[in-house]
Amino acid sequence: MKISIIDYGAGNLFSVASACKNLGYSPVLTADEKTISRSDRVIFPGVGNAISAMKRIREKRLDNLIPSLQQPVLGICLGMQLMMETSDEGDTECLGILKGRVAYFRKRNSAGIKVPHMGWNIIDNLKGRLFEGIDERTRMYFVHGYYVPGNEYTAANSYYHGSFTAAIEKDNFFGCQFHPEKSGEAGIEILDNFLKL
Amino acid sequence: MIEIIPAIDIIGGKCVRLTGGDFDSITEYNTDPVDMAGKFEAAGFKRLHLVDLDGARQGRIINLDIMENIRRSTGLIIDYGGGVKTDADIERVFRAGAAMVTGGSVAVKKPGVFLGWLNKYGPEKIILGADVKNGKIAIGGWLETSSTGLFDFLNYYVEKGIKKVICTDIKSDGTMEGPSVKMYKDILDRYPGMELIASGGLGSLDDLRELDNAGIKNVISGKAFYESRIPLNPYPLETLARRIIPCLDVRDGRVVKGVKFVGLRDAGDPVELAKRYSDEGADELVFLDITATHEKRKTLSALVRKVAEAVNIPFTVGGGISGLDDVNAMLANGADKVSVNSAAVRNPGIINSMAGKFGSQCIVLAVDARYENGGWKVYLNGGRIPAGIDLFEWVREGVKRGAGEVLFTSMDHDGTRNGYANDALAAIDELVDVPVIASGGAGKLSHFKDAFEKGRADAALAAGLFHYGDISIAEVKNYLAQNGIIVRT
Repeated sequence: MKISIIDYGAGNLFSVASACKNLGYSPVLTADEKTISRSDRVIFPGVGNAISAMKRIREKRLDNLIPSLQQPVLGICLGMQLMMETSDEGDTECLGILKGRVAYFRKRNSAGIKVPHMGWNIIDNLKGRLFEGIDERTRMYFVHGYYVPGNEYTAANSYYHGSFTAAIEKDNFFGCQFHPEKSGEAGIEILDNFLKL
Repeated sequence: MIEIIPAIDIIGGKCVRLTGGDFDSITEYNTDPVDMAGKFEAAGFKRLHLVDLDGARQGRIINLDIMENIRRSTGLIIDYGGGVKTDADIERVFRAGAAMVTGGSVAVKKPGVFLGWLNKYGPEKIILGADVKNGKIAIGGWLETSSTGLFDFLNYYVEKGIKKVICTDIKSDGTMEGPSVKMYKDILDRYPGMELIASGGLGSLDDLRELDNAGIKNVISGKAFYESRIPLNPYPLETLARRIIPCLDVRDGRVVKGVKFVGLRDAGDPVELAKRYSDEGADELVFLDITATHEKRKTLSALVRKVAEAVNIPFTVGGGISGLDDVNAMLANGADKVSVNSAAVRNPGIINSMAGKFGSQCIVLAVDARYENGGWKVYLNGGRIPAGIDLFEWVREGVKRGAGEVLFTSMDHDGTRNGYANDALAAIDELVDVPVIASGGAGKLSHFKDAFEKGRADAALAAGLFHYGDISIAEVKNYLAQNGIIVRT
């Protein structure tokens, strides 16, 4: 199976690739349109800032490609956020695969909120194929300052001064706000579920 | 996140709760209100809703001395209600130290008096108490029901400038059978700017979640605490775990400082150790590189790569990180975060450029400091050189420049095994709004609990304690879980 990990200079690609390799796959890190469109699975990782990430995606002409992909696509962390229409982070226009806007935790107006939301938090209300065999309230590793509010495609919730979307599923598009590649055995199982779809 | 305000209702000098507003169904909790308030404060609560039920019933202030005692022994922000009828009464209550006064019956019976208070003290200090029974406002410690409907009552006072409202559903109060979420939602829909405090019926975390989902910011809880239905915590819906982080010193790609695990083939192999700690339940790892050669980056990159291939938990790399190329090399090889220390003190601008390029979430500000001449002073180069700057000023600046986390090591505590520098940690927590890692001083289980409760740290780091196998990570986690601290087990 051909797996592309989109390499647009934003993220810990090495660990995602290692996790895939440990599951017996041979992923490629690439920004090449053809390679990506011809692969069976696409992983779209990302950490850092939405503004510069979207800029790089546009420079590499991936902004039209990613929403048009037909094979299963997994956005991780910022990758999932960029699947939304817009982000509060620099009022950035994103890929628009899902309706809605990425919001900032600091605006939750909650006393003492620390940003980034960093560490191991539970996921619950698990829905869909990513979470087969995963227990409710399993802990995953999160590190992010912005979040996707609950929406009709929310496939898992988590809680940080209120609930937020921990995972999404819409047609062939999947996303995890947490880092499955850094979330111990359960995280690897979720990655495996995606690769086995 | 919804915040709970604990309630103390007083009859005859003791904490009580009524059920459904019925004075004949008093549950007496044989506790002294001052002790109870102290317990609330120790559990992290900042506010207290104090009700003089004797006063409410008799129409005059009776238990004000108890509030004064609570004020004397705690720093809680208190709103006081019950039996406050006249201008002289309210003056007395404020003079006794109440931050806010709740007026219920008086707002129904003597709107002129209540509006006078609102004008004199302002909407930050005057809370409207709306006690509701079957859609009508109840008064006199809930013994009587008025003919005023809830929304007529609210309309009237919102127009006059009231902002804070405690709304109690009398029927559900003390039943723990679930709060009237719909009523609160209706109120917020109609008055989106209102600081609504829900009260009554809270009996479980699910109730709390329902209120939170409905957008309610504050809820009062009495019985649910007294009867241990929900954890004693202002934010019991919080689910993020505190982290336990073993720290490994490495030189030339090998772990140094004796690590004495039984059954290790090679106690110096970073990969084997990383796996071992990861299997034991470590939430993260920190590698501190003390290599001094010019081959440093190359050997460290190779180590980082090997660790990233082998473990699937996050890890931070620090020690001599001084420029964007260093950060890039670490992250590209699979590290999740880097920590910057001396180089950032010498050139603070690198924090901005690192955070700008790679994101704040991967830049940890590591600070070593010691207490001397009445202040905490920063040290450089592994604690060898005084930097001549104040710890708190530097932490504040580093976070402002973009560090997404602070790793504070107290040199006074490091290696002593006498506990973490909890006062300094709490001061850092107060100062910045990023996660803080406590480091230096762990010697026994209770030290971790103290770092989280007294030091309010988000994570606790330890080295020797874990390396020598004196305490295992699993033991720490179990102990913390038993003590009500959220951990990943």
